[in-house]
Amino acid sequence: MRIGITCPYTWDVPGGVQAHVRDLSAHLIGLGHDVSVLTPVDDPDEADLPPYVLSAGRAVPVPYNGSVARLVFGPLSLTRTRRWLREGEFDVLHVHEPTVPSVSMLACFAASGPMVATFHTATARSRALQVFGTALQPALEKISARIAVSAAARRVVVEHLGADAVLIPNGVDVARFDGAQPLPGRPPAPTVVFLGRIDEGRKGLAVLLEALPELVRLVPGVRLLVAGPGNAEDVREAVPRSLRDRVELLGLVSDADKPSVFASGQVYCAPNTHGESFGIVLVEAMATGTPVVASDLEAFRRVLDEGRAGVLVPVRDAGALAAALGALLCDPPRQARLAASAREVVRAYDWASVTRQVLDVYETVADTAPPAGHVEVDPELDTLAALLEKGDGTDDDAGRLVSTLRRWLADRPRLADRTRSSEAWTDRS
Amino acid sequence: MTTVVALLGLLVLAVIYVTWTAGRLDRLHARVDAAWAALDAQLVRRAAAARAVAATLAPGPVAETLDAAARAALEAGAEGREACENDLSRALRAALPLPPDSAELAELETATTRVGLARSFHNAAVGDTRAIRLRRIPRALRLAGHRSLPQFFEIDDTAMAQ
Repeated sequence: MRIGITCPYTWDVPGGVQAHVRDLSAHLIGLGHDVSVLTPVDDPDEADLPPYVLSAGRAVPVPYNGSVARLVFGPLSLTRTRRWLREGEFDVLHVHEPTVPSVSMLACFAASGPMVATFHTATARSRALQVFGTALQPALEKISARIAVSAAARRVVVEHLGADAVLIPNGVDVARFDGAQPLPGRPPAPTVVFLGRIDEGRKGLAVLLEALPELVRLVPGVRLLVAGPGNAEDVREAVPRSLRDRVELLGLVSDADKPSVFASGQVYCAPNTHGESFGIVLVEAMATGTPVVASDLEAFRRVLDEGRAGVLVPVRDAGALAAALGALLCDPPRQARLAASAREVVRAYDWASVTRQVLDVYETVADTAPPAGHVEVDPELDTLAALLEKGDGTDDDAGRLVSTLRRWLADRPRLADRTRSSEAWTDRS
Repeated sequence: MTTVVALLGLLVLAVIYVTWTAGRLDRLHARVDAAWAALDAQLVRRAAAARAVAATLAPGPVAETLDAAARAALEAGAEGREACENDLSRALRAALPLPPDSAELAELETATTRVGLARSFHNAAVGDTRAIRLRRIPRALRLAGHRSLPQFFEIDDTAMAQ
């Protein structure tokens, strides 16, 4: 199958959507499919792009909503998107986050044919959708199949676009985590692992540090292994002087080291306070075989199978967290039981299974040859884009606009013909 | 003079709006057609797979009911399609648990998954199309032409969720 995928965020900046697109593409290629990814790239020479990735140009940073959004929009990106669509001859086009003003949105406007969209965002209110919702609707309603990566993301799709989406979770490479070896040279002591930005409040490291004195009383030899970027000094300040030697700060760990970090602990702790839509880190810890103690957030409850594949504790409750961690550290048989049920659960998140589900969607929308056909450049946009490309700002542009409009209107009957020929399919009698 | 220009301008805008909306509806109907073709194909595939599975079952009332329901689903016209497919879902559920690890069962499971997907995509397309068609201006100007209003396809397709 020839598959075109668009990633709206800059490829050489780390991020969840980029990682998702990269892993999905790799697995699709592994199954023998032809994949081409169109994405913004900051520095194509430095980025070491895989052969299936094509740059749509640089993204322009725009301050937005308290952070920096990197957008791609304009005649040049549109031209590249259209050329990519024309030359790709895709059986199916898969856009990620089409509501972000970037290549996915451009591809939605520029293409017609079998289109699949994946929605990642779980933010309840999307500024783009609120402001441009009506303008985006005609582009979004070309999408034949919508996928959401989490229940929260699915709710956003239903609320904003008024249509349901199929739930297919984020994938994890289970084989990469399963059977990982602990980090070398660590003292053999009961260890609790934390992974995440240490200075981001919602990751909840503060709650874990608050629970530490009580945990030390319950499990005297316990150690804390903290992996993640942020200011280490602030973390030390938050721990009583007598306990500081029990906290190991690893700083930012590479993707390659992550499995070993999980394997270095008897328990993985996710004390997040709010704002998690999925919990991919939990799935990674579970794939390693490290039992999980996590805040009772909706997304975590789902991943932990309502508490059957891990321990759930009340959010922001240091006392309960210490008690739960202490009890689990002292109970190796229970650790083994939780690890076993966790391994069952993560099979559903393995990329092998997720890729299969995505392919099911592709084949459902693209299999029916006559009406669905191939992905093509939308003829309607073609005339408009041609005008944008050729326009040189002279008076002649006005005359060209009129003749283009006239041609466009003359094209209408042809469009009607096309529908009539496919009418046989609607006729169910 | 100004009034005439303004009126002409309004007229041009109106024409653009109308043709654009007609084109949009055109596109939406094409999407419904494609989605229905996919759903139809997957329903046929499921019924055929159900017959193949019924043939592997021990002769008896369960196998007979399943085969009859699958045949009825294959032969159903537009009118009774939903009811027949529902009967098939029910017959499949009554036949559970099916003997595991056969090629027939794997095909049936794939087809059932696809029916669920195709139905969800079809109903989304129908929903999008109806939302535009039932607006005041497209309805008053009959922008959808002679095409009948697309209908949702509602069946219980959770039968194989084992």
